[in-house]
Amino acid sequence: MITVKNLHHSYSRDEKYAVKDVSFEIEKGEIFGFLGPSGAGKSTTQGVLSGLLQLQKGEVTVAGYNVKHIKNKMFNEIGMSFEISNVYNKMTAKENLNFYRKLFDVETREPEDLLEMVGLGDKGNIKAGDFSKGMKHRLTFARSMINNPSIWFLDEPTTGLDPAIAATIKDIIWKEKKKEVTTFLTTHNMHIADELCDRVGFIVDGELILIDSPKNLKLQYGEKFVDIEFVKDGEPIKESLSTIDDKDKARIKNIIDNYEIQTMHTKEATLEEIFIKVTGRGLV
Amino acid sequence: MLKKIWAVYIRDLKVNTREFITLYLLLIPIIFAFVINALAPSINDTTVKLAMIEGDNPEQVEYLENFAKVSLYKDIEKVTERVERRDNYVGILPEGDGYYIITQGNEPAGVVDFTKALQALYVLDAKVEDSTAEIISFGMDIPPLKKMLVNISILFTSVLGGMLIAINIVEEKGDNTISAVNVTPISRMGFILGKSMTGLILPIYGSISIILITGFSHVNLLQMMLIVLSASLLSLLIGFVEGLANDDMMTAAGSFKMIFLPVAGAVAVAEAVSDKWQWTVWWIPYYWTYKGNDAVLSESATWPQILLYTGIILALSGAVFLLLVPKVKRGLESH
Repeated sequence: MITVKNLHHSYSRDEKYAVKDVSFEIEKGEIFGFLGPSGAGKSTTQGVLSGLLQLQKGEVTVAGYNVKHIKNKMFNEIGMSFEISNVYNKMTAKENLNFYRKLFDVETREPEDLLEMVGLGDKGNIKAGDFSKGMKHRLTFARSMINNPSIWFLDEPTTGLDPAIAATIKDIIWKEKKKEVTTFLTTHNMHIADELCDRVGFIVDGELILIDSPKNLKLQYGEKFVDIEFVKDGEPIKESLSTIDDKDKARIKNIIDNYEIQTMHTKEATLEEIFIKVTGRGLV
Repeated sequence: MLKKIWAVYIRDLKVNTREFITLYLLLIPIIFAFVINALAPSINDTTVKLAMIEGDNPEQVEYLENFAKVSLYKDIEKVTERVERRDNYVGILPEGDGYYIITQGNEPAGVVDFTKALQALYVLDAKVEDSTAEIISFGMDIPPLKKMLVNISILFTSVLGGMLIAINIVEEKGDNTISAVNVTPISRMGFILGKSMTGLILPIYGSISIILITGFSHVNLLQMMLIVLSASLLSLLIGFVEGLANDDMMTAAGSFKMIFLPVAGAVAVAEAVSDKWQWTVWWIPYYWTYKGNDAVLSESATWPQILLYTGIILALSGAVFLLLVPKVKRGLESH
């Protein structure tokens, strides 16, 4: 559904690339997570794929359309939920969705149904300007589904939402996946990516470092750790030790044999830890 | 495509009716028209207003009413009170077999002299029919002041359309909604056209309201629309540029006021400067709009004249268009 080959993009239109030589493919119905710290090139890539930024160098096809020569009807296939909410503040939630649906040439969803889905069912007649940040974010998310997109771009879809609402949003994304909607998820929230994505791509400084499924990444790069709390000379001590590294394994044995263990937990490597290990960079 | 353009226009209209400043802009043409009606004299208005005593001499009142506006009061005291107000009322009061005239003292000399002459003509029993003068009319049956005010209002209305566009664009920028529209199947040109409709429909509705309310409904509407719409094209282009260049509504409206400088200059030169200096404002499209509308309101406009003025306005606007359109497109892409 999405093919990207040797994508480059420079805002200054010179050799200073915000995105350089990025290539990947996303299959129909796949949820692909594009992960990286701020300024890594996530939004730039998404901007080019969604047609918001002009394709300068490389080849990109989205839903069979060549992004180099964008046809307006391509947007009938695309849904886009922005990181920063962008709804008309002077219009009600329902008016926002009703206006937006008129801009599409395809069958659209009922605004009331979408509002109900994101927990705004009883807020349809309230002006978006009176909404909280989270409510606006949900309205932006709901709007991205109005044209039944086959390709869905989600930029930080759960940012600023309370856990219950974030769980609802995740459920919706799962439901859409069952309908074979292809999702391009941009986030720096590794937990969301871990839970939702079939595959993830790590991008740093405009370069795509690797692509794989979270499970494979954990198998390949993840180490199991043991967090041990024990008492030594009357003082509580806490250590985190690898279950793979020989030196750490010997240390675990030594602690068990010689000290009073207070707590001991095994811990699987998180996607965030793997990201740091692979890229040498944090996610902030 | 038309459906989408219409949707953009209706959205703007709906939002414009919810904001005081934009609602005010929408109503300005009607307000202008009523103010013109209230302030500008009609062709049959006289400049002399007389205050007299009720029932004193009905025959005299009937005679004077042919030439002046006569108001009747019950006694001398009331007539005096009326004359002492700030406007230009002159009192005619009986004294013995004759009459005397009272004034506040600050009336124009012509008003007082005309009152005296009227009183003398009444005493002499002079009739209009007695006049031997032949009247040769140039056919100017429209009050010049009223025509000028109507013309300025129509010009102002065609500029206001651009201001409304600027405000609507600022709203889109403030809400970050242009990027959301950019990922829908509406083309950039479709979106621009949808936004432009406000800048075209306001001048159409505004100028029609003004001419209907002020009593100019007999003018050639088609000629007027041609002139108004061609002037509006330039206003809406400036509206887009100002909207994209400013981040809040008040700044956009403030910046847009700059456009009133050439508008005012064009009107001032057209009205007050001799013919040999008119060329100094030929470069201002609104000068030709004013001239064209002046001819339409005077009912002296010919089609070749209107087409020439329209052509000049479009040519001048076209030059500005070529200069500014890339800026507008870039602005819409970057939001």
